[in-house]
Amino acid sequence: MFRETLIGAWSLLVGMKVTLSHVLRAPVTSQYPRERIEMSKAYRNVIRLIEIDEIGSHDCIDCQACVRVCPSDCIKVEGERPDGMRKKRATLFEVEFALCSECGLCLDVCPTDTLGYSREYDQAGFRRDDFLYDLLDEWRDKEADVRTRLREDEAKKAAAKAAAASKAAAAKKAKEEATAAAGDTGDVAVEGEV
Amino acid sequence: MMRPKSTMELVPGDDETYYLNMGPQHPSTHGVLRLRLHLEGERILGAEPVIGYGHRAHEKMAENRDYLQFLPNTSRIDYLSGMIYNLGYCQAIEKAMQIEVPERAEYIRVICAELNRLTSHLLWLGTYLLDLGGFTPFLYAFDDREKLLDILDSVTGSRLTYSYGRFGGVSMDVDDTFLRAAADYCTYFRKRIDEYHALVTHNIIFRHRTKGVGVMGPQLALDYGVSGPCLRAAGVARDLRKDEPYGIYDRFAFDIVTAEGGDCFARHMVRMGEMEQSLNIIEQAVGGIPDGPVLAAKVPKRIRPPAGEHYFAVESARGHFGMYLRSDGTDVPVRLKLRTPSFVHVATMPVVLPGTMLADTVAILGSIDIVIPEIDR
Repeated sequence: MFRETLIGAWSLLVGMKVTLSHVLRAPVTSQYPRERIEMSKAYRNVIRLIEIDEIGSHDCIDCQACVRVCPSDCIKVEGERPDGMRKKRATLFEVEFALCSECGLCLDVCPTDTLGYSREYDQAGFRRDDFLYDLLDEWRDKEADVRTRLREDEAKKAAAKAAAASKAAAAKKAKEEATAAAGDTGDVAVEGEV
Repeated sequence: MMRPKSTMELVPGDDETYYLNMGPQHPSTHGVLRLRLHLEGERILGAEPVIGYGHRAHEKMAENRDYLQFLPNTSRIDYLSGMIYNLGYCQAIEKAMQIEVPERAEYIRVICAELNRLTSHLLWLGTYLLDLGGFTPFLYAFDDREKLLDILDSVTGSRLTYSYGRFGGVSMDVDDTFLRAAADYCTYFRKRIDEYHALVTHNIIFRHRTKGVGVMGPQLALDYGVSGPCLRAAGVARDLRKDEPYGIYDRFAFDIVTAEGGDCFARHMVRMGEMEQSLNIIEQAVGGIPDGPVLAAKVPKRIRPPAGEHYFAVESARGHFGMYLRSDGTDVPVRLKLRTPSFVHVATMPVVLPGTMLADTVAILGSIDIVIPEIDR
């Protein structure tokens, strides 16, 4: 009995020693509202549309892949095909963040990799509407310019393609002519056609 | 099979015994568990866990969405070992569909799962000591856990609900900073374990409150299907990582930690030992991780496990987590039954609790380390 008391007292002293060794440690608590914490690089939050260099804006093509994969049904995307453009552009991208579980599946399926995570982290609100994010907000005023440029690009590309095609056709024709000439008949007929 | 004696009836004219509802809002139940206790003074005559307060219908949800969409749910069943559940679910589907996982992804999975096991055991240690009235170890354990969560956060982007696994690998590659942080943490934490032993394990008050309390013998444990640290504390060396090695667990050298007695103290010792073993595994995995892709190239676009029944189980921080999947070859499972350890552990309470004191209920309930959403699913 006496022995046990002694061992018990000793165990408490050993414990105290551990505690004492921690007394002078620097505090590990961050005083959050007064002190901002740096979020990790991989930090997941509400999604946003990120800029794609070649476009100079987001590249949402209204493919609905994220809408289909979302387990919480919290994404709504609408889009249109602007005149003279091959690809579609999003006209509405709404995320109801109150329903989102931040699983990141939408980022995985995005074919143009234009979805990323927002860096803000202390969203709080008093109404559900506060969590209704319109992801096109930051891009909307640029959209007209982007479309003009994209249209020009596409036109240029189409022109280049047409040029290349006509060049190829010309080359083909020249080749055909060469073959025909080598065949030594029909020279006149070809010339006549041209 | 042992059946709990029915001791929940009130005897007419008996003024000495009474009922006490512990929970659903009680700080020691770590969530919304209600224990209906039949008491005589402070002695427990009978106990009946009342569950269902945290029911979220995970199993039913699985039947209403495709396999990929169920992925975020898996880290929410047992929110303390979300990574293990998450990766386990991916492995279950991979096994059913025979998807090959790249070597590097397998290593990352082992590292992340073991880090997650550490966070879970650390939270258990902290809150358990808090239940028993020790405030200091709680702060130390949470400090250590916070460091781990930062490491996991740096690669998964989340602290608790990771959603990190993907069918055929993991969603993001790890960098050298992560691997170095994990290895450094192992060195750091080994010293801390010694401190915990000095502060907690050798503490006379802790020993008196846990030794011989809440005995769950090997026979009882096996009868009920208890698994994980609770089973190993009864002296039964069972660990799925060794018995049916999944992933690449067969490549690592580690021991199954067991203890004798099956009381609260034995469960404490098993978990402390398991943390050390996890450190061993992490160190080996960090040392041997190869380069390469982290996601298999040939993952089918549509996840459709072949029709039939599939079963896969992993060793979570609490024990045997099994997924029984019945598929009809479509995008949506017919049935996904989740076998969760906490459900089994809380089912032993009507046998373990009678005869103990009311104050020990807190110690016993804490030592089996239940997670309420996992009981209710």
